[in-house]
Amino acid sequence: MAEKPIWEQIGSGFVQHYYHQFDTDRVKLADLYTDASCLTWEGEGFQGKNAIMTKLNSLPFQTIQHSITAQDHHPTPDNCVMSMVMGQLKADQDQVMGFQQVFLLKNLDNKWVCTNDMFRLALHNFGA
Amino acid sequence: MGDKPIWEQIGSSFVQHYYQLFDTDRTQLGSIYIDASCLTWEGQQFQGKAAIVEKLSSLPFTKIAHSITAQDHQPTPDSCILSMVVGQLKADDDPIMGFHQSFILKNINEAWVCTNDMFRLALHNFG
Repeated sequence: MAEKPIWEQIGSGFVQHYYHQFDTDRVKLADLYTDASCLTWEGEGFQGKNAIMTKLNSLPFQTIQHSITAQDHHPTPDNCVMSMVMGQLKADQDQVMGFQQVFLLKNLDNKWVCTNDMFRLALHNFGA
Repeated sequence: MGDKPIWEQIGSSFVQHYYQLFDTDRTQLGSIYIDASCLTWEGQQFQGKAAIVEKLSSLPFTKIAHSITAQDHQPTPDSCILSMVVGQLKADDDPIMGFHQSFILKNINEAWVCTNDMFRLALHNFG
C-alpha cells in the first residue's frame, strides 16, 4: 500500500490539530504560530503571534465547530508545506457557514508552525 | 496616501494577469509556471509546467469568465507571496459557480512565477 507523501501527512496532521484546538481551546493555538506569523482574517491583517492570538481569542462566539469538506497539501520550493482547506463551521446558534482557509507551514526547531494563515467565510448571495 | 504594500501590488497584479489569461487564452498560462510548479485541481495533482498546461488547456469549456469577490496577499518568510482568491466563475452556459484558489508566487530571474496553485469549486449543498 502506497503511503501518503510526507507533506500530506504533515499538512493533514496540522489541519486536524488546528481545528481540534480551535474548537476546544483557542488559547492553545498560540503554540502553532511564531512572532513572525501573519494572519488575514476576513481581509484584516494581524502581524505576529500576540496580535493573532488577541484576535482569535476575541472572536464573539462561545462554541464553534469546524467540519472539513476538502483539503489539499503541497510541498513548496523552500521546504514549507502549503495547505488549503474548504469546509463548514457552526458557531453557537448561528447558521452553518462555509469557509476557506490557507496555511503555510514551516519547520522550525523540528516543529511545524504556521507562518501564514488566511481565512474567509463563504458569502451568501441573497440578492440574486 | 499610503501605497499598498509591495506584496499586495505584486499579488494583485499576478491575480489580475492570471485570470485575464485564463479567460482569454489558457494555452498561454505556461508563461507563469515553472517546471517545478504543482497544481491541485479539484483534488487532482499535476506536477510540472507541461502537465499543468495540458490540464488547463483540456478543460471542457469553450468560454469562461472569472469574477473576483475577495483576494488576500501575504509575504512569506522565504520571500515568496501567498495569495488567496475567492470568486465566481461562469463557463459557457453553465450556472455561475463559486470557487477558491491559492497561489504561491516566487521571484525567479526577476520574474514572479507561480510555484504552487490550488483550485476548488465551492460546493452547492442541495441536501
